[in-house]
Amino acid sequence: MIYIFLGLLALLTFGATASDNIQIGGSVGNVLRNAPHVITVYTTVMTIFGLLMAAAFYNNAALRDFNNEFNEILFSTPLKKSSYFFGRFFGALLLSTLPLIGVFLGTVIGSLVAPLFGWIDADRFGNFYIETFTNNYFLFILPNMFIAGSIIFALANIWKSTVISFVGALAIIIGYIISGNLISDIDNETLGALSDTFGIRAYSIYSKYYTPIEKNTLNPSFSGLLLLNRLIWISVGGMILLASYLNFSFQEKNKRVKKQEKSIKKSSEKFILPALEIGFDRSSVWLQFKSFFMMNFLSIVKNVTFKILFLFSAILLITGLIGGFEYYGLQSYPLTYKLIDDIDGNATLFVIIILVFFSGELIWRDRNSKIHEVIDATPHISLISLAAKTLSLISLTILLQLFFILCGVLYQLVNGYFRIELEVYFLDFFYANFLTYAIWSGVMITIQVLVNNKYIGYFVSIAVIFIWSIVLEIFDISSYMLTIASGPSTLYSDMNAFGPGLYGAMMFNLYWILFSILCLLIAGALWNRGIRNSLKTRTIIARKQVPRNYRPLIFGTGFVWILVTIFVYYNTQILNPYKTNDEYEQMAADYEKQYKKYQNVPLPKIIDAKYSIDLFPYKRNVDLKAIFKIVNETQIQIDSVHFNVDKDWSPAFDIPNAKVVFEDKKMGYLILGFDKPMLPGDTIEMTITSQYITKGFKNGRGSTGIINNGTFLNNFELLPSLGYDERKELSEKNTRKKYDLKPKIRMPKLEINCEGNCLRNYLTMGTSDYINFETTISTSSDQIAIAPGSLTKYWEEKGRNYYQYKVDHPSQHFMSFISAKYEVAKRKWEGIDIEIYYDAKHHVNIEMMLDAVERSLAYYTENFGPYMHKHCRIIEFPRYATFAQAFPGTMPYSEALGFVVNLEDETENNVIDAVIAHEMAHQWWAHQIVGAHMQGATMLSESFSEYSALMTMKSISKSPMKMREFLKYDHNRYLRGRGGEIEAEQPLYKVENQSYIHYGKGAIILYALQDYIGEKKVNRAMREFLEEYKYRPPPYPTSLDFMKYLEEEVPDSLHYLITDWFNEITLYDNRMKSAVYAPLENGKFEVTLEIESHKIRADSLGNETKIDIYDWIDIGVFTDEDEEQLLYQKRILIDKEKMSFSFEVDSLPMRAAIDPRMLLIDRIYEDNIKDIKMVEL
Amino acid sequence: MHKLIIKDLSKTYDNGVKALEKISIEIENGLFGLLGPNGAGKSSLMRTLATLQEADSGSAKLNDIDIFQQPHELRKVLGYLPQEFGVYPRISAEQLLTHLAILKGIAKASERKEVVKYLLNKVNLYDQRKKNVKGFSGGMKQRIGIAQTLLGNPKLIIVDEPTAGLDPGERNRFYNLLADVGEEVIVILSTHIVDDIRELCTKMAIMNEGCIVYHGSPDEAMSTLQGKVYQKIVSRENLDTYAEQYQIISNKMVGGKPLIHVYSDTNPQNDFEQVKPNLEDVFFSKINTSHQLV
Repeated sequence: MIYIFLGLLALLTFGATASDNIQIGGSVGNVLRNAPHVITVYTTVMTIFGLLMAAAFYNNAALRDFNNEFNEILFSTPLKKSSYFFGRFFGALLLSTLPLIGVFLGTVIGSLVAPLFGWIDADRFGNFYIETFTNNYFLFILPNMFIAGSIIFALANIWKSTVISFVGALAIIIGYIISGNLISDIDNETLGALSDTFGIRAYSIYSKYYTPIEKNTLNPSFSGLLLLNRLIWISVGGMILLASYLNFSFQEKNKRVKKQEKSIKKSSEKFILPALEIGFDRSSVWLQFKSFFMMNFLSIVKNVTFKILFLFSAILLITGLIGGFEYYGLQSYPLTYKLIDDIDGNATLFVIIILVFFSGELIWRDRNSKIHEVIDATPHISLISLAAKTLSLISLTILLQLFFILCGVLYQLVNGYFRIELEVYFLDFFYANFLTYAIWSGVMITIQVLVNNKYIGYFVSIAVIFIWSIVLEIFDISSYMLTIASGPSTLYSDMNAFGPGLYGAMMFNLYWILFSILCLLIAGALWNRGIRNSLKTRTIIARKQVPRNYRPLIFGTGFVWILVTIFVYYNTQILNPYKTNDEYEQMAADYEKQYKKYQNVPLPKIIDAKYSIDLFPYKRNVDLKAIFKIVNETQIQIDSVHFNVDKDWSPAFDIPNAKVVFEDKKMGYLILGFDKPMLPGDTIEMTITSQYITKGFKNGRGSTGIINNGTFLNNFELLPSLGYDERKELSEKNTRKKYDLKPKIRMPKLEINCEGNCLRNYLTMGTSDYINFETTISTSSDQIAIAPGSLTKYWEEKGRNYYQYKVDHPSQHFMSFISAKYEVAKRKWEGIDIEIYYDAKHHVNIEMMLDAVERSLAYYTENFGPYMHKHCRIIEFPRYATFAQAFPGTMPYSEALGFVVNLEDETENNVIDAVIAHEMAHQWWAHQIVGAHMQGATMLSESFSEYSALMTMKSISKSPMKMREFLKYDHNRYLRGRGGEIEAEQPLYKVENQSYIHYGKGAIILYALQDYIGEKKVNRAMREFLEEYKYRPPPYPTSLDFMKYLEEEVPDSLHYLITDWFNEITLYDNRMKSAVYAPLENGKFEVTLEIESHKIRADSLGNETKIDIYDWIDIGVFTDEDEEQLLYQKRILIDKEKMSFSFEVDSLPMRAAIDPRMLLIDRIYEDNIKDIKMVEL
Repeated sequence: MHKLIIKDLSKTYDNGVKALEKISIEIENGLFGLLGPNGAGKSSLMRTLATLQEADSGSAKLNDIDIFQQPHELRKVLGYLPQEFGVYPRISAEQLLTHLAILKGIAKASERKEVVKYLLNKVNLYDQRKKNVKGFSGGMKQRIGIAQTLLGNPKLIIVDEPTAGLDPGERNRFYNLLADVGEEVIVILSTHIVDDIRELCTKMAIMNEGCIVYHGSPDEAMSTLQGKVYQKIVSRENLDTYAEQYQIISNKMVGGKPLIHVYSDTNPQNDFEQVKPNLEDVFFSKINTSHQLV
């Protein structure tokens, strides 16, 4: 057994190491496939599997002598209790760690074999470190097996039941998951780390800011949080072991002797054998079915294991709920869909485990109770009994779900939330879970019947659930038709209900339900009655024994199933073909290889656009006509235009004197040639008509852009894009290598006074500049349709609503087209119409959102310049995506964001303000100026917007500490993000559209800068930069252009900040070494702080070097533990690594901090703060 | 009158053990005893007749039901108590019997209730009917097993060592019960307790190593040995000598000394005393054909 486990784990890790299709451990980009970090992640993950194996070993060690009834013989020999007990325990401990050595074997063999066979390049593998193996063994494998073992061994010794032992193992895993629920907020991650039995999360927090280099070189070590966690849990394990040793005895515990109740009353009833009517017709079959069902169902419900599992899932759900729905320190309202998400997230796996376990229990129940010969010899049809078993499994899931729903509803009520949508709970259960459970029930019952051995049956069931999907992945199969019980997502949205995937999901469910019934029918024929026979014998018996009407039943069901299969196949493979991952990669590679040559072909530019769009939301169709004025702005003549055509759309082009000269239907590349070339300065009008028709259903949810309520499309999605599209190329360097492509240059190099790249911005990529556009958009009569621009006309025609929009000022050709049933809230601010389009259910926060828009308008117009549109719209869209986006004057905002967050107790600024303020800021940063397509471009839009948002929040912030709450998330975002960098980390001014840099780091640095040099100065630099480049035709500005304005504002004494923060990657390692105070005679307090400070420079991979420090850094003192009252703050010059400062304060100090407001990037911020201790002078 | 006709029934297990070898018998109404040592093939024969096991060849028919071709039909008229009978945990005797009554086609709830009550009383469990069966003693469980065998007017009742674990009182109750129904239907009873057969059965068969070695009535069997069985108390040291010299049927201890029965057409003299043959002598003379000591 041990070698099987060893082999299994070795195989799994071998696969993960040597195959690109299996991804665990995060080995991407620059992280090596056998990096110590990756091996550590494998090890920690595998110890969870190891636990189940350990359960088997320990259980066996504790129970072997009892099960073989050898105990009475053995224990009467002169054997010492301690040597018996500990001998068994440590024997099992050693055994249980052995399979996990397979993880090491797997990685080592994988690393040797994969390059040899050319599966993966040799340069993706690095050296092995002996510490990786020893430290992992002694930090994770041995302690985890010890801890888990002590618990399981104790349970086994007390209860002497294999089931209880495995339930114990499961309990440990649950404990691990529950402690994970605690970690959801970064504030209590330490608690989460320490409460984790396996040390997995302790390690993940320990390593959360690891850079690629660190992942490749650092081994987990016996220090910090990780060591503490290990010590805590080893002691816990030790105590359990000791307790169970003391409790252990060779003597049999007094068995409970049941007192026989003496039945006093002797019955005086008369008994007569009635004349019986025995019949076997339909009604008696139904009666048999009912009776079987009740017997099975009750047996599960009364089963102890079931009760324990039920309790576990309830605990899991409830702890999940207690955590609430955290969103950047705020709580979301307990919407029904949130609860559904929680129930699904916590319960589904459990229900599947319950199904696996009880499918075996039910099938083997008669045999285990030794009543099978009697039952088997009664005149019932096997199918009736199997169907009853299946139904009792299904009923079980209903029972569980009803309980979960009850928990959900109670949770809503307790939280004072009364929009309880019972129908949503039940429909979601039906669509998303119930059918899945029903399918699994049938399949698992069938597996148990066919395999004909309970434990092998369990193994096969688990393999089918978990390993099958990996197999499909390896063979690059993504059809739901081969993944049991799967289908498109029916994620519920308040706006769009169960969404576009519902029809497909139902068809796939039908397909799988029929499959499951077919399985059951076959199982019913092959069900083993009487003595156990081989499958072959049973097939022979089945031919003889199966009733005559059974055959048509099987063939009938099979026939219907085949019809459905054909229908599903037709819809998902022929009507709506799709690409698998590998096919998609292949196509992207081919596209690049074939058409890269056209990248620099001169193209005309769009200088004016008129759209006419008809949305049919309920049919999910779109009719579109776009009239573009295009001009040749180049110096040479243009003889053709190139387009990329999306398969889902069918565009037709009407360009005067032009016709199709090349068409690649497969890759959607189209070239139209002019009869007469466009000369420089020539303008022509081109018309594109296009259609999107929804046909049948897809092997997936289908478009979430074109839906019943909440259609949201942008112009790039609607229309074929112009010219070779660089964005279609593969980006990850290892994937590119696989297709013989050189690493992709993510962004053109930053250059000053550039030629080509400065002529296009990163948004429209040279297809247009600031242009005028207008839209006529129509939708169904119950919906409002919105496009960027002021509404110039509205009318109704043929039961449809028509709207005409026109931009007030030439803008980026970046447009959103939206349609849904909306409520509209309006407010006027200095001549600007503020409008919020929202779903009627989400009305609570609208006033606050209007306030937020107003506040940002006020701050930005004052500090940066005028707002250029007459309207300012926020528009809700369904939660298929969770972002907000800024189009000219128009900002779609996901249903999942601010609309559903509970702001009742929020008096100050909050993250909802932040998101609105960020998108509002884009109306300046991105729409009035936009960066040239090169490094540093997104600093000018995203970092600026993030900074602007922080400043609007600061403008109403009452305490200086409040802003640290927000900055904390930015720090985390940046530090975690750089750990996941797959190419190279860039300094801020060269950011290559890396979100952790332009959001996280950009926000921190600009915010810190205004703190160091003053808000006015930073804003002035930004305003003057804006004024210079606002709406200016190409060349577009670069980050270097901005730096010129900024440098003017920075005093010489702080000029190092430009270098450190913008031009280089700089980190600080600040520590408060000691903090003491002494009360003074005059009632004041003298505080003395000893500080250690290092400045670190990192390269693009995370290699660090210390550099000399000569920096101004704040020190401060708090009067409270919550660090809200900053009593004293001073910015001091640190020019040595270790320094000491003394100063007087008026009130009693509580805590001291270096950089108390978290302005500097420091990987470990916690050691910046210390409680101040009193000393006598 | 029901008739069970078994013809040339053979079964060899995968491991080569011959469980049944060309078994042919006809059985009619009444109690039919099947006697044989452990491993003789009694249970295999009974399981085969109860549709729980396939035979390799041969046929078995109850009236016009072909057991192998129409197992479902046979199950409708079958009462079966296997050698090992257990019960579900956490349900009562009444619930269990009701479930089985439904499976046996007693569709009317009132009838079901009556018949379950009746049978529980018959097996002396009526007062414990609401109790969880898992807590029952082996004998009580066996009584439930007996009760379920009689559910639903069976025409063929097969009971495999039914009295194992019953105290003498219960055993008598059970045999009375069987004798009651035995007049109307076929009851096949297997046992290795020779007395049971003598007391109950009018017809019997002795099985050994998969074959029927005797088939007839107990009285007939005993009469064939009339005047040919002799017994003697011998000393333990001389036991082997006797075994070499005589055809030993059986040896057992009486008052601490071996008592041997031998088969002999003539009086063996030597202080042997002629005895009236009992069924045990028949049994041992049929299965102990090589005259071994035990």
